[in-house]
Amino acid sequence: MGEDAGVSGGPLIVQSDKTLLLEIDHPDAQACRMAIAPFAELERSPEHVHTYRLTPLGLWNARAAGHDAEGVVDALIKYSRYPVPHALLVDVAETMDRYGRLQLANDPVHGLVLRALDRLVLIEVAKSKKLAGMLGNKIDDDTIQVHPSERGRLKQALLKLGWPAEDLAGYVDGEAHPIDLAEAGKDGGKPWTLRSYQREAVDAFWAGGSGVVVLPCGAGKTLVGAAAMAEAKATTLILVTNTVAGRQWKRELVARTSLTEEEIGEYSGERKEIRPVTIATYQVLTSRRGGAFTHLDLFGARDWGLVIYDEVHLLPAPIFRFTADLQARRRLGLTATLVREDGREGDVFSLIGPKRYDAPWKDIEQQGWIAPAECTEVRVTLTDAERMAYATAEAEERYRMAATARTKLPVVRALVDRHPEDQVLVIGGYIDQLHQLGEYLDAPIVQGSTTNKERERLFDAFRSGEIRTLVISKVGNFSIDLPEAAVAIQVSGTFGSRQEEAQRLGRVLRPKADGRQAHFYTVVSRDTIDTEYAAHRQRFLAEQGYAYTIVDADDVLGPSLPSFD
Amino acid sequence: MTTSLADHLRTLPDESLAALLQLRPDLVVPVPADVSALAIRAQSRVSVARALDGLDQFTLQILDAARLTRDPQGGGTTVEAVLAMATAGSHPPAPAAVRGAVDRLRALFLLYGPEHDLHVVGGVEEVAPYPAGLGRPATELDPRAAALCADPAKLRRTLLAAPPSARAILDRLAAGPPIGTVPAGALEAPATGTEDALPPDLVNGGAPTGSPIRWLVEHRLLVRMSGGKGGAGTVELPREVGLLLRRDSGPLGPLRTSPPVVATPAREAKAVDSAGAGQTMEVVRHTEALLESLSEEPAPVLRSGGVGVRDLRRMARNLGLDDGIAALLFEVAYAAGLVGELDLTGSSHARYGGDQQILPTAGYEVWRAASLAQRWEQLARAWLTMTRQAGLVGQRDDRDRPISVLSAEAERAGAPAARRSVLAVLADLPPATAPTPDEVLELLDWRAPRRARGRETAHREVLAEAAQLGVTGLGALTSYGRLLLAELTDADERAEDPLGLRSDAESGEPSTAVRALDALLPAPVDHFLVQADLTVVVPGPPDPALAAELEVVAEHESAGGASVHRVTTASVRRALDAGYSADDLHSLFRRRSRTPVPQGLTYLVDDVARKHGGLRVGSAGGYVRSDDEALLTEVQSDKRLEPLAFRRIAPTVLVTPYQVQRMLTALREAGYAPVPEDASGSAVLSRPKTRRAPARVPAAGRGLDPLAAPRLPLPRLLGVVEQIRRGEAAARAARRAPAVVRGSRAATGPAPAHTHSDALAVLQQAVRDKALVWVGYVDAHGATASRLVRPVSIGAGYLRAEDERTEMLHTFALHRITAAVLED
Repeated sequence: MGEDAGVSGGPLIVQSDKTLLLEIDHPDAQACRMAIAPFAELERSPEHVHTYRLTPLGLWNARAAGHDAEGVVDALIKYSRYPVPHALLVDVAETMDRYGRLQLANDPVHGLVLRALDRLVLIEVAKSKKLAGMLGNKIDDDTIQVHPSERGRLKQALLKLGWPAEDLAGYVDGEAHPIDLAEAGKDGGKPWTLRSYQREAVDAFWAGGSGVVVLPCGAGKTLVGAAAMAEAKATTLILVTNTVAGRQWKRELVARTSLTEEEIGEYSGERKEIRPVTIATYQVLTSRRGGAFTHLDLFGARDWGLVIYDEVHLLPAPIFRFTADLQARRRLGLTATLVREDGREGDVFSLIGPKRYDAPWKDIEQQGWIAPAECTEVRVTLTDAERMAYATAEAEERYRMAATARTKLPVVRALVDRHPEDQVLVIGGYIDQLHQLGEYLDAPIVQGSTTNKERERLFDAFRSGEIRTLVISKVGNFSIDLPEAAVAIQVSGTFGSRQEEAQRLGRVLRPKADGRQAHFYTVVSRDTIDTEYAAHRQRFLAEQGYAYTIVDADDVLGPSLPSFD
Repeated sequence: MTTSLADHLRTLPDESLAALLQLRPDLVVPVPADVSALAIRAQSRVSVARALDGLDQFTLQILDAARLTRDPQGGGTTVEAVLAMATAGSHPPAPAAVRGAVDRLRALFLLYGPEHDLHVVGGVEEVAPYPAGLGRPATELDPRAAALCADPAKLRRTLLAAPPSARAILDRLAAGPPIGTVPAGALEAPATGTEDALPPDLVNGGAPTGSPIRWLVEHRLLVRMSGGKGGAGTVELPREVGLLLRRDSGPLGPLRTSPPVVATPAREAKAVDSAGAGQTMEVVRHTEALLESLSEEPAPVLRSGGVGVRDLRRMARNLGLDDGIAALLFEVAYAAGLVGELDLTGSSHARYGGDQQILPTAGYEVWRAASLAQRWEQLARAWLTMTRQAGLVGQRDDRDRPISVLSAEAERAGAPAARRSVLAVLADLPPATAPTPDEVLELLDWRAPRRARGRETAHREVLAEAAQLGVTGLGALTSYGRLLLAELTDADERAEDPLGLRSDAESGEPSTAVRALDALLPAPVDHFLVQADLTVVVPGPPDPALAAELEVVAEHESAGGASVHRVTTASVRRALDAGYSADDLHSLFRRRSRTPVPQGLTYLVDDVARKHGGLRVGSAGGYVRSDDEALLTEVQSDKRLEPLAFRRIAPTVLVTPYQVQRMLTALREAGYAPVPEDASGSAVLSRPKTRRAPARVPAAGRGLDPLAAPRLPLPRLLGVVEQIRRGEAAARAARRAPAVVRGSRAATGPAPAHTHSDALAVLQQAVRDKALVWVGYVDAHGATASRLVRPVSIGAGYLRAEDERTEMLHTFALHRITAAVLED
């Protein structure tokens, strides 16, 4: 924004749909961000104007952290460039006032109770059908007994009613187990320290008791987990998306903490170990035999002092139900994004806990903790034959046809050749295409049917630099730690999933040893539905401040490339 | 007394009379004939009520003191007596304040006469029957009660002996009004069961048990008045008992010489104006959105008047507004002349059976072109002066029907006065004081209790609406709101002055309120910021040219202080359709954007532009096609074919707006040999047609003997035999129905009851036996018919039965069945 920004007022514009627009080039932008971050959720952060949103959840998060309505209103008025509508201010105050009118507390005599600071609210919610069966005897006008098993479900139901309860009932310590961070370096390793934002995240989590830490891929969420464990010094259950991710956790924990291999158990489809620190996959927990969840007992197998949920945005629905029963344990959620494509953000809030820490990606990148990435969209023009085939294809086949066009192959090769020094990941969604690519690039393929052992072998080879190019399927979307990958080439995706794009970019965002630039290419077929989906996926990253550069395939191929076919 | 007021008035000098008329202007409409007419009018119920309505609580209490201290015989009182009574309580007011109140009352001629012989004008009794909320003296009510009251010691003892529930009733009546209704039977029947500890709700007549009241009436502390209908009655607290109960607070109750003090701390004046100004932007924007939606889809007017709840709700939902706010904006827009009815009688647009629609008026266009502050002023003025109570919309009327927006039920003549008095309370406070609604109501109650009481809901609504419209901000009156109010009040005063000039609203100059608001509102901006996610942010209200451009090239996403738009494929296509070229769009974004235009946007525009118009659609009367391009060139350049206005749309296709037949003829005349094609592209062959009569069967050809039967081949014959046999079998199966079933109704008129019940019995038996029954019935056309069926069930007024021949299930209405006979 220009020079008259100072004259015209603050950096913030308050919209009537409760979004806040922050002009980041304004001199006061940084101060304003600090002031509004506790209560407003960052929705989009493109290059000039960041969008924050005031939501009930966000305002309640702020209340939970001790901010009051007066402070929120003051911040809005102070930084707002234009008059803030009265109705919006009233609404903010009223919404914030709803948090904590009800409290869940431990009564020395009656155990878990729901206590009202406002008697009418208690009367209102007690009448609600949604709470049927959760509340016990009325102890006095302001207190109702709660069955301890209903603690989670009650919080969920109260949130839905718009009267979120403050959970003051505390946590059990769980079975103690010594865990320390090995910052001095272990087995001859180099000394290291927790990064400042990781420390802030752990402190914020620990002060809050339970909650979610939002950090971008590559920002070291595992270390946040490890530090939280060192804080808790208790037996820990870690829930991860798949076995490979679980092993990465194990490797990282052995390297960065005082824990030894023997103290960490793996509970997966292959192995069923229960140790002081147990890493379980979502899949094994949600597998059923005869309609019953058979591995549910894991939650009660030990007196866990801490439960860590990796990739909270993917947490399957049944785990929410188990989590409702775990309200007396400390819970840490880790994720790169709170956006759930199923919209269950409210359940994450009430069952795992409020968001405790969040940092915009670009900020962390500027601090040098994640590799800066350059995103490029390469548009290939289909051959006439391919265009004809595409034009006559059935609607449901079209995306596959456009995404797997053979014309993409030479472009992918040219891109790989462009980075002769770098480790390259080629990511796609269609197995046939991956095989084609594997042959064409003479690179190994990791797909869903690849055994865990084979995967590990290939990933190790990739990490060591033995393999320079790896073709991976959707399994690459999540939790694979390949820090040396500096180039990712996406050839096809899952329609328009925003989350997928972010996860894939995350693959190349791990900091590089020499601080190299990371590259993310996405190869799309021009004038097809592929371009549309690509645009949808990219919107998320553009909103995170990653501007795409669009180039034509001919520029990549160069004039001298022999034509394909 | 009338005469004495008239006499008194006659003795006054002209200035004093003029002062009276100025204070009570209603006395001169119409101008009274003489002084006695003036005196009569000044004592009339209506005029006195009007004068009392304007009085504050303290002055009314002093008037009550004058009434209570009157000499029962002569009717006069003195200032001393009034002073004595007013200062009898535990917190006596300053005598000067009492004298001031007496002077005010005398100026209004509610009291008249010299200080030692003050009279209360007649009419006061009628308007306010219970002075200071006290009942009549016991002597006027009941001799036994009078006897009790005459013995103060006994009265005190009786009072102390009252049970707590009875005492609660007494305290309530003592606070006034002194009468209460009791439900039927409460006084007669002795209490059954335990005594209810709660005092009965006298005002609502909902006494749960009569016992405390019975006790009070029996002990003469309450006097029972005339019985109402059904035994329900009224009780009155004698004045003496009331005074005794008020011995702590004084006979007039608590006195407050000045209005209650607002305890809420004052806001920052800047914050108040800022919140209000923000709200004015919102209200103008919402009103515009509402009117735009009405312009796209006008709201039908109900037959009973107004716009239906469902339509209102739909609009509110579309705009993301609360129903109540939408109703308020609708009413204000109507009052401001921005929407109006369009009569549709006889028009093809009439829908929903309604013949009127609500849609924006021509005034809306003018309004839309005005500045934000002016637009707001128009709305705010309309709101202040409209005789509508928008808060009633959505509630139920007396007949329990919902009150709809713009309907006659929401009309309230007193609405502008209510708004004026509420806002006057705020205006009289120091600037930026933000009293709570309760404090405002308390102030209103002190300032003009007779006007405020019973209107609490309406007054609260006024406060809410004022906040909604941005007249107030953070609960305090805004600076521009104060100016607007002052302008309206000035205009009123000028209107009362026959020589006053008309308000300057018509002079074209923006009013002071508009100027004050303008200074608070953001200035229009003429640029935006474009970002890589294809959002376009206008960091302030866009100037009209920019707004018009954005409306075409981008989708609106969020509004408020700034506006956010998004450029999408669809929006770019729309812009191209509207006549922009890709270069126009590029230059528009370059020109307007304060930030570099992201590459993604450039690509998007180019991509869409490249595909735009890739297909061209048009219509033609006919075409000429040929694989021989040279031939087509010849046809196109043929002078004789010029009237056909050929256009070449492809190397091998010419089109003409004229019909095929004309083209064929012209081409043939010019010596070409065209062949017409049908819709599927195949050639249509045409031969010259010769006229023929319709075909007919030739008379000959039937054989030699026209009368001889035709001879059939054997298989045909066998087929005929088979057909006959089948017919025979069917006839056997379809035996005729018995006579009683056949046409029984036609023969005897309506089936007699016993026949019908017999038929039912037969049918029920048949259901049990699964037997075949002949059912006679009257079909839907009134014809009688019969059918052989096997009943399956009877129930709910219907017989379900199976016809074995057709294998269909039939349902007969029982009342249509005339007869039923078992098949033997």
